[in-house]
Amino acid sequence: MNASRTSRQGVGINAGKFSKEYQNAVSVMTMHPEDMASIGAQEGDLCRVTTADGEATFACTAGNVPEGMIFVPYGPATCRLMNGSTDGTGMPQSKGWPVDVQPIADDDVS
Amino acid sequence: MGGKVTCTLGEVKNRADFIVYWGGNPAECHPRHFTKYTLMQKSRWLPRGRKDRTMVLVDIRETKSAKAADIFLQVRPGCDFELLSILRAMVRDEPVDPDAVAETGIAYDVLEDLVRRMKSCRFGCMFFGMGLSMTRGKHMNSAALLTLAAELNAFTKFVAMPMRGHGNVTGADVIMRWQTGYPFGITFNRGYPRYNPGEFSTVDVLVRGDCDAAFIIGADPGATMPQPAIDHLARIPTIVLDPHVTHTSRLARVHITTAPAGIAAPGTAYRMDEIPLPLKPALKSPYPTDEEIVRRIREAVATRPFWMPEDSPQMTTEQL
Repeated sequence: MNASRTSRQGVGINAGKFSKEYQNAVSVMTMHPEDMASIGAQEGDLCRVTTADGEATFACTAGNVPEGMIFVPYGPATCRLMNGSTDGTGMPQSKGWPVDVQPIADDDVS
Repeated sequence: MGGKVTCTLGEVKNRADFIVYWGGNPAECHPRHFTKYTLMQKSRWLPRGRKDRTMVLVDIRETKSAKAADIFLQVRPGCDFELLSILRAMVRDEPVDPDAVAETGIAYDVLEDLVRRMKSCRFGCMFFGMGLSMTRGKHMNSAALLTLAAELNAFTKFVAMPMRGHGNVTGADVIMRWQTGYPFGITFNRGYPRYNPGEFSTVDVLVRGDCDAAFIIGADPGATMPQPAIDHLARIPTIVLDPHVTHTSRLARVHITTAPAGIAAPGTAYRMDEIPLPLKPALKSPYPTDEEIVRRIREAVATRPFWMPEDSPQMTTEQL
């Protein structure tokens, strides 16, 4: 998983972090179309992303990312997936984590 | 490793004919960078502007910045340090292992062309973003890039500059540096500054639960830090100064609304090349500035009796 900034997320920060603009910007993940097909997810489906430290839900969309990578904007959801260790550097690793992605069945949305 | 060979953005604007962005996406994150400094500006030494400059983008995915690049190199995730080390060897005409080159996801002849361009430009500048500094390797990746920039000065003028975040993050580093000698990860608990990233840095202090109160000015760790750090902020008395309602202000015991700097409060902000710029407020705000609140808290604290034994080393000169 590759987390990063986007201009929509940046605009959302200034519109207010509880604005629809920001919430929408940080709850979408971009995947390679073939990766989406292989887990059986359609455009706009909700997916659960799990790391060793936590889980978060994103709506997936197909886009130009390499196979095997998901791209998400930084936000409260990425905080839940991040490990607290900084390996003695003072900086937590904020990109490049191994994650597990599963589509959420409609009756499983909580 | 050590040291940053750098310059101001004014020099980049006027002289840099070769620009590398590594692990950064200025088209989205620094939208004025291309037009104000690195690509579009014409100058005495680059009279044709964009036509006189070459831009190379190195990233793990094709971002919006790729459209503005002359050359886009898609490096395999986690291979930045390896690629930088290979480039350092190639710059010195040292042999490199073809398997190691293949591992980075970029062909040898593409790297050969890049090295030739780097050595033959008149003024090169490498900008690096969080794609380099926040992935595996972190500061070692940045050090490798800074070393490459330094070593290229055997052939031509070459500099490097980090693509800093929004607001005044550069200012925080710069002020801490000249006040204490260190940029971050500092403790004052013995009455003098000590530096140890991983021990005194904010995330580590919070994750370990070392602190029993937090005072946060103009930052939103509740939406940026790892969850264990956020959980600790929610457990302890947290005080936030911020113009906006944020994730941190929602979990804080006290949120003091402040006038936004640069809009309704004056001050100084540091540009990413560490040039201080004065801020002139355009609007009036009913809220106090960060500076005023910190000053008033300091004055109120100073009237309280000192809580440690007389003559303890923690006493500041003022208290003695």
